[in-house]
Amino acid sequence: MIDILFAFATAVLPAEGTLAIRARAVWTGAAVLENAVVVVADGRIRSVGAEAPRGVEVLEHPGVLTAGLIALHGPAGAVGETSDGTRPALPEARVGLAVDPRSVELVALHAAGITSILVTPDPAGITAGTSALVRTADGSILRDPAHLSLVFSAEGLAGNRAPTSRSGALAMLDELFAGTRGHVADAKAGRLPCLFEVRERDDVQRAVAFARQRKLAGALHGAALSGELASAIRGSGLAVISPVLGVGTPRRVLDAVAQLAKEEVPFGFGLDAPWNHQDSLRLSAVLCLRAGLDRAAAWRALTANAARIAGAGDRVGRIERGLDADLVLWSGDPLDLASRAEVVFTRGVARTIQHAVPAPEEVRR
Amino acid sequence: MHTNVGWLALVLAGTAGAQDGAAPARETLLVRAEHVIVAPGRVLDAAQVLVRDGRIVAVGQDLEAPAGARVLEGRWVCAGFIDPWSALGMAADGLAELNATAATRSIDGFDPFSLDHLRREALRAGVTSARVQLGAQARIGGLGAVVRLVPGLGRDEAVVAEHSNLWMSAGLSLPTGMQFVETPDGFQMVSGNRAQDPFDRVESVDRIVSALQAGRNYLIAQNEHRHELEDWKKKIAEKEAELEKESKKAKKDREKAQKDAEEKGKPFEEKKYKEDKKPATPRFDEDNEVIARAVDGRLPLLIAAEREAEIRALLAGTASHGRLRLVLAGGSEAVHHATELAERRIPVLVWPAPLGRGRPDELEAHDLSLAGRLSGAGVRVLLGSGGRDPSATRDLPLLAGLAVAHGLPSAKAFEALTLGAARALDVADRLGTVEAGKDADLLILDGPPLASTTNVRFTISSGRVVVTPEN
Repeated sequence: MIDILFAFATAVLPAEGTLAIRARAVWTGAAVLENAVVVVADGRIRSVGAEAPRGVEVLEHPGVLTAGLIALHGPAGAVGETSDGTRPALPEARVGLAVDPRSVELVALHAAGITSILVTPDPAGITAGTSALVRTADGSILRDPAHLSLVFSAEGLAGNRAPTSRSGALAMLDELFAGTRGHVADAKAGRLPCLFEVRERDDVQRAVAFARQRKLAGALHGAALSGELASAIRGSGLAVISPVLGVGTPRRVLDAVAQLAKEEVPFGFGLDAPWNHQDSLRLSAVLCLRAGLDRAAAWRALTANAARIAGAGDRVGRIERGLDADLVLWSGDPLDLASRAEVVFTRGVARTIQHAVPAPEEVRR
Repeated sequence: MHTNVGWLALVLAGTAGAQDGAAPARETLLVRAEHVIVAPGRVLDAAQVLVRDGRIVAVGQDLEAPAGARVLEGRWVCAGFIDPWSALGMAADGLAELNATAATRSIDGFDPFSLDHLRREALRAGVTSARVQLGAQARIGGLGAVVRLVPGLGRDEAVVAEHSNLWMSAGLSLPTGMQFVETPDGFQMVSGNRAQDPFDRVESVDRIVSALQAGRNYLIAQNEHRHELEDWKKKIAEKEAELEKESKKAKKDREKAQKDAEEKGKPFEEKKYKEDKKPATPRFDEDNEVIARAVDGRLPLLIAAEREAEIRALLAGTASHGRLRLVLAGGSEAVHHATELAERRIPVLVWPAPLGRGRPDELEAHDLSLAGRLSGAGVRVLLGSGGRDPSATRDLPLLAGLAVAHGLPSAKAFEALTLGAARALDVADRLGTVEAGKDADLLILDGPPLASTTNVRFTISSGRVVVTPEN
């Protein structure tokens, strides 16, 4: 993994104090501001405007400043620690506790402009525990627990222990939700959203019915064609985490994602790093964009909507006064795959990304 | 009679179907753009391109539309992209063929009627032609072909180069591990993850090197025979002239010999000349014919190799073949030999796909920065969609974008998808630039080529408008 060895980052500014960043364009999530200044103080965004306050150090950059990207699914940072094959139901297991803050997987994600990831339990049994939103820069926790994982797909089934069938799994989920303690009680009371692991469209239907019956909030993850059921999903109030989309993704899948946007179902992308490459997150959005999804929706899926789905919409995902300064300076339009993350900020601390090959000197037209 | 009517109806239905799927007609076109990329590094602003009978007739800044010509406009115009490593159009069994030989032709496994929806998506993304290859994993994969991706073209127009290259692969020997999995949208090749004995891997290179040596010996024998034959013909001619000159004496001598034989009661024997013995023709071998062309530099040779050991052995084993036009495909660990690759002008055909952990062993070192590193070291870089998945050809421009993000200058990426690929596959006389005389394979774009955010407005393939903003 050469890129991990090379794509390290160096801190250039202290965490404390005030910093102003001026970029050719600032994408706040609500608007694109030309030549704007974002002021960061004590790790948070203090203001967004045209001018820097007097006496404040200004970092000038010719590219685009955005909120950091958020990847919504996978074991990165906790590989091997996200399921327990011996027991089918572990609602109290917290994968957030297993994250290694010095993991090279997190370094690779950080260098690709992904400032936080939702670390999720594997779809094993009926639940392998709770997810956590983790910063890639230092493994620090933004939200833990973020969701209770509930498995509706065949991935949770096994031949040598229960559940062995989908109906068996549903019976066990019913039994689990008869409980009145811990994460299950939090989920039933609406304090803890659920992450519904689905694969096929019939899994989506069962999960939506289960959520509606118990008035559960949360998101469906894993069904590439869930967009074909967008209107039913919309009625349930659930969000969708699309599986990562790779090179050659069939048009039908891309159209299904566009259908989610049309029905106004909030969605983001799972990445499942390290099994998928960090650049596949932006690639997922770009594939949808080229298949007709509008730019704003593609961008929200990578940032603001992803933050909301992870339960941290009030902390990250947009450039707005009061939010954490988890930001990225890109060499150009971040929805152009030829652009790269050049500086990544975590709570205001800037790290310059050292890429394996320095940027070519030529200027793109 | 009744049967005949039914048969006729069937034929008519078939014809109607064929017309529905037929490519749009060739047109006379005047394309106007703010920027025309005539060739890599050569941009003409506020320019026009005139297309007639499938060819580019003129490129200039003051061209007028001839009467009846269709006028198309856009911001950028460039040559259609070429995917030099594609699986689009090959039948799955052909791709998986392991018993191919050098003379096996990909064109025989090319199906111009398959996967039309994927071809249309590729055209919409600006990829107008591709190299297809059977025996993608075979030690010797045979002759590759360059084809247009327009659905409904006849074979003659679809094929740009019937024999564009010879293909071999080193190291990856996966007869048990590799398989093709059918998907609703086509099929996908799944590489096996079978660990290989390093000796087996290097032996695979030895076999390639031996095959090249055999081809060279064949070539030498053929050339020697040609010279011998010329010498022989010369000698025959000399002898004939000599006999002609002394024809009276020769006739007398022959008559005398004939008479003597008759008197002695012996059979008459004609005098033998040593020139009568024609040099024997070497045995014809169709595989060595092909390899000999590669060794002689008349046919590009693409060899897939990922790991350093195989690449090192290949470079050593091919160094004595001075005319060989080698292209290294894959080359995950090629950076270790960048200097030699640059010196010997061996291009590397890179597959810049974002691969996660859990990839096959031989791709362990695969990295998006490969194209940028090689280019930085002076190696010519080509970019392809990997020849594994027919739907990946659509995303070649995105793969090129990823290579750029990881250090390949965008001008080099553009060249790789146009003139670079055309040159490497010997089709630069027809594809790769927007110049008079070339085939009219053009893209009309709303932004610079290779930006992920750029949309193709029109795609033109041999003068046919195959993509419009409406379709």
